[in-house]
Amino acid sequence: MEVFEKDRQGMVLRIERSSVHDGDGFRTVVFLKGCPLRCQWCSTPESQSFGVERAQGNVYGTLMTVEEVMKELRKDSLFFFVSGGGVTLSGGEVLAQPEFSLALLKNAKREGFNTAIETCLFGPWEHVKALLPYLDTVYADVKLISGKAHKEYCGVFNDLILDNLRQMDREPGRFRLVVRTPVIPGVNDSDEELRLIGGFCGSLKRLDHIQLLPYHKLGTATYEKLGRPYELAGTPTPTQERMARCREIVGSCGVQVR
Amino acid sequence: MAENYMERIEALRQQYLATRVDMDVYNAKYVTEGFRDTEGLPWMIQKATGYKYECERKQIYIQDHELLVGGVGFKPRCGILNPDSASGVIEREVDTISTRPFDPFYLSDEGKQVYLNDVKDYWKNKCVLDRWNLMLPDDVKRLRANGAIFIDRKAVRGYGETTVDWRMIVNKGIGALKKEAEEALAKLDDAVPGDLEKSFFYKSEIMVADAIIHLSHRHADLAEKMASECADETRKAELLKIAEVCRWVPEHPARNFYEACQSILTYEYACYMEQNASSYNLGRLDQYLYPFYKADKEAGILTDEDAQELLDCLWIKIAEMSLFQDEVTAQYAAGYCITVQTSCGGIDEYGSDATNELSYMMIQATEDVKFKEPNLSVTYSISKNPDSLLNKAVECIGMGLTMPAVYSNDVGVRMMLNKGVPLSEAWDWNPCGCVETNLSGKLKEYTDIADINMGAMVEFALNDGKSRITGEQVSVHTGDPRNFKTFEDFFNAVKKHIDFAVDAITSGNQLLDYLSMNYRPVPVLSLGFPHCMEAGMDYSQPGAAKYSVGGGVITVGQADIVNSVAAVKYLVFDEKKVTMDQLVKALDADFVGYEDVQAMCLTAPKYGNDDERADFCVGEIFTHVVDQFEKYDTKFGKMTCGMLPVSGNTPIGQWVGALPSGRNARTPLTDGIGATGGTDVNGPTALLKSVSRIPHARFTQGTQLNMKFEPEMLQGEIGIAHGMNMLKTMCMLDVYHAQINCVDRQTLLDAQAHPESHRDLLIRVAGYTAFFVELGKETQDEIIGRTEIDSWAGCG
Repeated sequence: MEVFEKDRQGMVLRIERSSVHDGDGFRTVVFLKGCPLRCQWCSTPESQSFGVERAQGNVYGTLMTVEEVMKELRKDSLFFFVSGGGVTLSGGEVLAQPEFSLALLKNAKREGFNTAIETCLFGPWEHVKALLPYLDTVYADVKLISGKAHKEYCGVFNDLILDNLRQMDREPGRFRLVVRTPVIPGVNDSDEELRLIGGFCGSLKRLDHIQLLPYHKLGTATYEKLGRPYELAGTPTPTQERMARCREIVGSCGVQVR
Repeated sequence: MAENYMERIEALRQQYLATRVDMDVYNAKYVTEGFRDTEGLPWMIQKATGYKYECERKQIYIQDHELLVGGVGFKPRCGILNPDSASGVIEREVDTISTRPFDPFYLSDEGKQVYLNDVKDYWKNKCVLDRWNLMLPDDVKRLRANGAIFIDRKAVRGYGETTVDWRMIVNKGIGALKKEAEEALAKLDDAVPGDLEKSFFYKSEIMVADAIIHLSHRHADLAEKMASECADETRKAELLKIAEVCRWVPEHPARNFYEACQSILTYEYACYMEQNASSYNLGRLDQYLYPFYKADKEAGILTDEDAQELLDCLWIKIAEMSLFQDEVTAQYAAGYCITVQTSCGGIDEYGSDATNELSYMMIQATEDVKFKEPNLSVTYSISKNPDSLLNKAVECIGMGLTMPAVYSNDVGVRMMLNKGVPLSEAWDWNPCGCVETNLSGKLKEYTDIADINMGAMVEFALNDGKSRITGEQVSVHTGDPRNFKTFEDFFNAVKKHIDFAVDAITSGNQLLDYLSMNYRPVPVLSLGFPHCMEAGMDYSQPGAAKYSVGGGVITVGQADIVNSVAAVKYLVFDEKKVTMDQLVKALDADFVGYEDVQAMCLTAPKYGNDDERADFCVGEIFTHVVDQFEKYDTKFGKMTCGMLPVSGNTPIGQWVGALPSGRNARTPLTDGIGATGGTDVNGPTALLKSVSRIPHARFTQGTQLNMKFEPEMLQGEIGIAHGMNMLKTMCMLDVYHAQINCVDRQTLLDAQAHPESHRDLLIRVAGYTAFFVELGKETQDEIIGRTEIDSWAGCG
């Protein structure tokens, strides 16, 4: 099959197959490299910088063409077909490589794959808009509503992110919108912050549901490898009881929580 | 009877788990007495007489709580010795069999004396195994002595791996078969050439039919006697019912579901007593039992609970059989496995969905009983079987019960076609033993006469035909590997060694056939094959069963040969990271002092990752193997192949030096058709893609894939859905079979340390299930080392 912009290159961190947590069915997740945010709890710190990174014998990042990525995706096409699965672009940040992401999604759609992105939405609205016709699901991160705290913990203000969400809410099309919020103790797990998040999401008419993801420490070893400090070292993972309570609070704002 | 049926099942379970596995040598004594009393008569008549004595003289029992009764030995959970097959096999083990590491059988002092005084001497140089060792060609002996092949299995125990015509047994009854034999006998004319031999056969059939019926009547008598002494009215009524059932079946056609179950069990035990062989499969139980279920339900004499209780009882009684093997053979298939396989689902004669209520109840029985047998499977037709069946199957797997195994029905049908069975009958195939293919009442075969060590084939190519372990010249000369100019030179050398092993194994097969035809008549089994009765020939003869194929040979170490061939291509010829000289020296030294070479070998492309650089050779290697075997004809048809290494990958590995895959000398080869533990890092979809490169349908004795999942992966509706999707895709990829262990590593380690608290922990070994604590330590370790798929990736 002819591949749209097959020679366009992008910086890919890694490609993982048989994932079932980032969309429908079996999915191949393409982790792009480079992110404009610096969330302190980031579990893939090796995905943040835009270039190839080397640390302790590990190489993080490969330049790949669209054609090369498509070749990887096709390997599981039968699994996609049976399970209704497909490709999920993740990061790093999808919007940081807008042309590459667009080319991948266009090609994936042409081959009948289900498509999803996982994004922090920190990018120009035109870039977001361009991707939407080729998407089945958008997983958009909403970490904090309070702008100052967002700047403190993620390195940037969140106006652009929330604006993009509002714009997206007005956009026609068949994509499904899912908000993802990592619950970080001491950062965004106060009743007040959760109500703000719930309230904002409640205002989004086309929101399918919101996912509250408990904070975990799986990335801490990578910080060590990269020789970078892990700011949240003392932060505990939330208990099951607390997570249940968080879901209750957000749910009380009239949004479906999963 | 069946309200709260699980109380009975639980009581039976506990009774079973508390029962020691014993060695029964009494059957061997009675058989020997039969042979002695008929000295000079045809071997078949001698065998039938011995069988008659067994049925008349053996000690019988009925256990508490039982609804279905019978037993192969003098007590529950016995191994039996089949002296005409391999009397001598136990001789060197009389003092150690009770305590040996793999599958110990308790042999009492009395038992020892019985064997030494009444059995041993008679069979010297007379049993099949002794004759086998006297006559085996030298090249075969040399390959065997150097672990390049393992070929004694079928000399040690007789025909199993077969499926009788259960529909006929249950619906006609043994009495009717006896009558057929009598009528056929009456029509013979001893003046006509050939009729004399037929008369031996029919006389044997009549004798064993009588013997089976007699043994059943003895159980009826015992039940009546126990009833008369029983104070508990409920149990008394049950015992009287048992007596009524055993008085009627298997002699007569079963009249209801209960009688059908007992009829099946009685004949199953009868076959097993004759040969001590594995895999007398129950076949498509949901199909031939269904008319009884339906009629009883309609008549209002059976509830679903009643039916479930009887199925559960049947499951427990099947698990009661314990295969006796000598200590070497037991290493290759540890766990007392009898691998009696039974399958549900599949299609009917019109190509439509064959699933019925019993299909689900069979899976439920495995969920209730939680034992290693019967070996339950689903012959899954992706186009015809309902999702609810696959859902029930994955639910059971997710409970950690290792079963059912899931087969692609389409690939199974293709294997049958490849065995020469027309499509008009191939649809009715059933899985056999571990993963072989069978056809109820029609197909005669030895499914696994030998194992071929694929690791050794690479070793020979890189060592001019010599074993690195023994230093002996075992195979042909293919020259110093340093002189290979291209990858093809090397690959051709591997193929030459495969060809040599194939030729030797086939000679072994011809000898086995000769011995089987002359010294291994099976009159009891022959009753279950209608064509034997028509032809007047024992199952052991060519042309007796409707279809037959040549001996099945198992390739062991699929991933090892692929990874090694791939590593040589990648490291020596493509990337030139290592010279052939360095590689050979490293292998000679088992990588000691060549750790850098080993590191490169270990990081070379590996099978199981959907990586072309490793998988390119999969199709070519295994097509070559099967092409070679199919060049050889036998009295029963072309030789056949399978990939069901049972647990043989562990002992066979002890005969292989270091390999270019990076594997160290003497360590286990890889099980089944999966990836080497820890080397498949791209998740289950990539593994299945690599596995799909094997030409499955040409390996007509089946190909067996083990997968090991973290239990939580198949939990809940979503987990089950993912499991179903994976199995469906497996079928679309034309992968034949998968079985899934769903138990976490920690549990296995704990069971190794504290066996007493994990008596009923099940584990899938290879095509069969065993109680983990009953396996030898090496096999346990090998299982623990297999790659565990611990998450559907990406959950972060």
